[in-house]
Amino acid sequence: MNPKNDQIVHIEDVCKIYKAKGSFFGTRKKDVVALDRVSLTIPRGEIFGLVGESGSGKTTLGRLLIGLEETSSGKMFLDGEEVTHLKGKELKRFRRKVQMIFQDPYQSLNPQRSVFDTVSEPLKIHKIGLGSDKYEKARQALQAVGLAPPEDFLHRYPHRLSGGQRQRVAIARAMILNPKFVIADEPTSMLDASISAQIFNILLKMRTDFDVTLLFITHSLAAARYLCDRIAVIYRGNLMEIGPGEEVIGNPIHPYTKALLDAIPKFGQKETVRRHGTLLVRERKGGNGVGCAFFSRCSVAEEGQCSMVKPVLSERGPGHRAACFF
Amino acid sequence: MPLLSVENLTVGYNTKHGSLKAVDRVSFTLKEGESLGFVGESGCGKTTMGMALMGLLPPNGSVREGEILFEGTDLLKLSSEQMRQVRWSEIAMIFQAAMNALNPVQRVGAQVAEAMLVHDDLLKEEAALAKVEELFDLVGIPRDRMLDYPHQYSGGMKQRAIIAMALACNPKLIIADEPTTALDVIVQDQILEEMKQLQKEFNLSIIFISHDISIVADMCHDIGVMYAGQLVEYGPREAVFESPVHPYTKALLASFPTLTGEKTDLAPIPGETPNLVRPPAGCRFCDRCTKPGSTCKTEPPQWVAISEEHKALCCRCK
Amino acid sequence: MTNAEQKKQVEAPVRFPWLESFLEGWSIFKQNLLGKIGLSLLVMFALMALFSYLPPLINPMYNPMTGVDPNILGCTGPSLKHWLGTDFMGRDILSQLLAGARVAFMVGVSAAVMSIALGTAIGMTAGYLGKFTDTVLMRLADMIMVMPTLLVVLLLAAVFGQLNIWTIVLIIALFRWPGVSRIIRGQTLSLKQRPFVEAAKVAGASHMRIIFRHIMPNVLPLAFLFMTFRVTSAIITEAALAFLGFGDPGTVSWGMMLQWVWKTGNMFQAPYWLLPPGICISLITLSFYMLGRAMDEVLDPRLRKEDQTD
Repeated sequence: MNPKNDQIVHIEDVCKIYKAKGSFFGTRKKDVVALDRVSLTIPRGEIFGLVGESGSGKTTLGRLLIGLEETSSGKMFLDGEEVTHLKGKELKRFRRKVQMIFQDPYQSLNPQRSVFDTVSEPLKIHKIGLGSDKYEKARQALQAVGLAPPEDFLHRYPHRLSGGQRQRVAIARAMILNPKFVIADEPTSMLDASISAQIFNILLKMRTDFDVTLLFITHSLAAARYLCDRIAVIYRGNLMEIGPGEEVIGNPIHPYTKALLDAIPKFGQKETVRRHGTLLVRERKGGNGVGCAFFSRCSVAEEGQCSMVKPVLSERGPGHRAACFF
Repeated sequence: MPLLSVENLTVGYNTKHGSLKAVDRVSFTLKEGESLGFVGESGCGKTTMGMALMGLLPPNGSVREGEILFEGTDLLKLSSEQMRQVRWSEIAMIFQAAMNALNPVQRVGAQVAEAMLVHDDLLKEEAALAKVEELFDLVGIPRDRMLDYPHQYSGGMKQRAIIAMALACNPKLIIADEPTTALDVIVQDQILEEMKQLQKEFNLSIIFISHDISIVADMCHDIGVMYAGQLVEYGPREAVFESPVHPYTKALLASFPTLTGEKTDLAPIPGETPNLVRPPAGCRFCDRCTKPGSTCKTEPPQWVAISEEHKALCCRCK
Repeated sequence: MTNAEQKKQVEAPVRFPWLESFLEGWSIFKQNLLGKIGLSLLVMFALMALFSYLPPLINPMYNPMTGVDPNILGCTGPSLKHWLGTDFMGRDILSQLLAGARVAFMVGVSAAVMSIALGTAIGMTAGYLGKFTDTVLMRLADMIMVMPTLLVVLLLAAVFGQLNIWTIVLIIALFRWPGVSRIIRGQTLSLKQRPFVEAAKVAGASHMRIIFRHIMPNVLPLAFLFMTFRVTSAIITEAALAFLGFGDPGTVSWGMMLQWVWKTGNMFQAPYWLLPPGICISLITLSFYMLGRAMDEVLDPRLRKEDQTD
């Protein structure tokens, strides 16, 4: 199937399985299925939110899309071209179009390199621009992320920058090649709230100024609501619900989404906020990779259907899909 | 008489850059059975304050001024042996990232028992283990997991074990420093609910320290907002969250994305936190404040009483 | 967890980062007593090495190898003309001692540099490429590590006759790289996983670029630290070889001096000949060791984050 041209990212039935290293004599540990037949499409210019808890597979999906890991099966397309297994020159060309902002600003910058070195490295790698051009581009990139005056920052080293400033440098580095698609993997989970807000606003600005498509990976539904046009909820390697941000949050369908919404602290608003109550207090046995991934914790799930058959995403409203039998 | 009454607590650190006041003249009270939350971003001094209350400051830190009255006794005037007896049996603490503080080579049940045995010379080992079983029931860990090692526990279970340890000697006050930060949202919700129930059951007082206002708002009766070592707003939960007065509190609330209500623009707070080695002469929030007053830069702000229980440290807020 | 970082008052751009790190390291180093003693001793030995060129210039009779005092036929004690006395051939002991310092530095430093360079290159390659290459290289390292250097050199000497000093240096280097390579490999493995290396990969960096620009600079401090320990062992190995009679007869080293004392049966008769080289060997190794320990302290704090005061 040839994806349309205004779809920047299109993935079909992507699976990622980590094989367990079984010892010759010991018991064979089970293979870990990090992603189970995930498909989604992100149109140009959209900010797409992927929300999940730890172990959901959201970071793995980001790493597959950026090419840091290989898919076990399935296909991935970027801007019309298949990018599932790339090598050599094609891989390098691909790298100009897709970039990543990492979670830990304290580890994603080489401590031995100055801000200028870090931000201009992509230019050097792809041999863009002469010496002075690089300086100018780096300056502009820092300006765009709000590190002003840029000259002050270009010669500094990471240990002289705060967490928020480091993350801005990481964004500048990601944007300097003018990529089509940027993956932001929990870019604010290590930052304070007020600094996170700065980063969110910068990401929004990047979308407007540079027409870039963004995948925002997070564990916070509230942050996804603020930033994203559409949201997908992922649990144990399966997409549970996907739809426009306000719809998924205001009108959740999947029991897991409802459980997440219940669990988020509500700023002390008295218990007037209705709880959906879809989470079981104690997990029950069952599932084991066959039925719905959420079966063991779902209070509305039925033995039989939910524990034997995995539901697929079905349309519930305009653009709003959920993987549930109810 | 309140359970805990702190007056003008000031804690300083000696660092290679100079001496800095991590906590500057903080005062508050806590009644029995109630909870008080301290909210602030990194560097505001909330963890230091928690450590000071327990008498667990690192070697380069010391209490410069103030008094900590726990049930009428000034903890700062106690000897280290007396303080050791107070610790855990009267006041217990749940440290930041406490789950990582579990000894990986000792069974969890044994570690919780040890907390009791260390603080009570007369307790026998069997009695301690029996108590551990009770505690595990309380916090929701199946009894048969007592003999497991920490790596066999999930994040949520480890945190529950830590809570069990804190409750082991029946303290009156628990200081919880970011107890749920490393946990997923659903587990966090469960743990917080359990803490609320335990509080009711044992009439515990809790001091809850967090950078996440939403949690503090859910858990606590009273809130204290800290910035750059100072308490800038203090009052009952409803007052502070529904009608904040201090510019920092307002700005902080405005920088959290919400799930409900109108989707307003997040207004981040520009600038950075001030240098605590050479703090500014006037209000510490002045250069980031949206509407500073004329004297804010040069004169230190004064406490303004908004209502009987709600006050803010600001010159403009009258 | 974010740090409470005290905002530095000086916002000026750092043009010479190496200088700044060096100065910062120096101030930490200065506080370490062991380091200061070690450094002073090393400076003394370095001066000795420099001065070794002087005596023959003053008077050809002071040449450590060929200088013969016409008035003296054998061992004599310290005197005004020969501050440490003369050896069995009438050569000045002090000038031999100074020449020995020069040789010690040459041998020590060259062997150390070579083995570190080799060990670092192999360690980084093994760590970075992993899998087959890693296994092969590390098994090779294991095999070499268990071989006794001294024994092999003795065998080679027995087969090929007297060895040239530079051959000895080469052999020491070839046998000493495994230890370094293991440590460097470990460091490389952990660096490979760090986000900034992944970020470079994501930007499209080639393997070469990642190794040279990202891994190597973060691995070098460790390598330099190791160098101080390697110098020590190289000096001792050379001294041992010389003492056993397998050194380069054309160079005067402290080990050589000890060999001559022993061979000519003057061990107890001429303490002024026996003691100086022995003490020098011990002191120079001690001083390198102390320097290494002090450097350890300098390098460590920089790997740690700044003080947390939250």
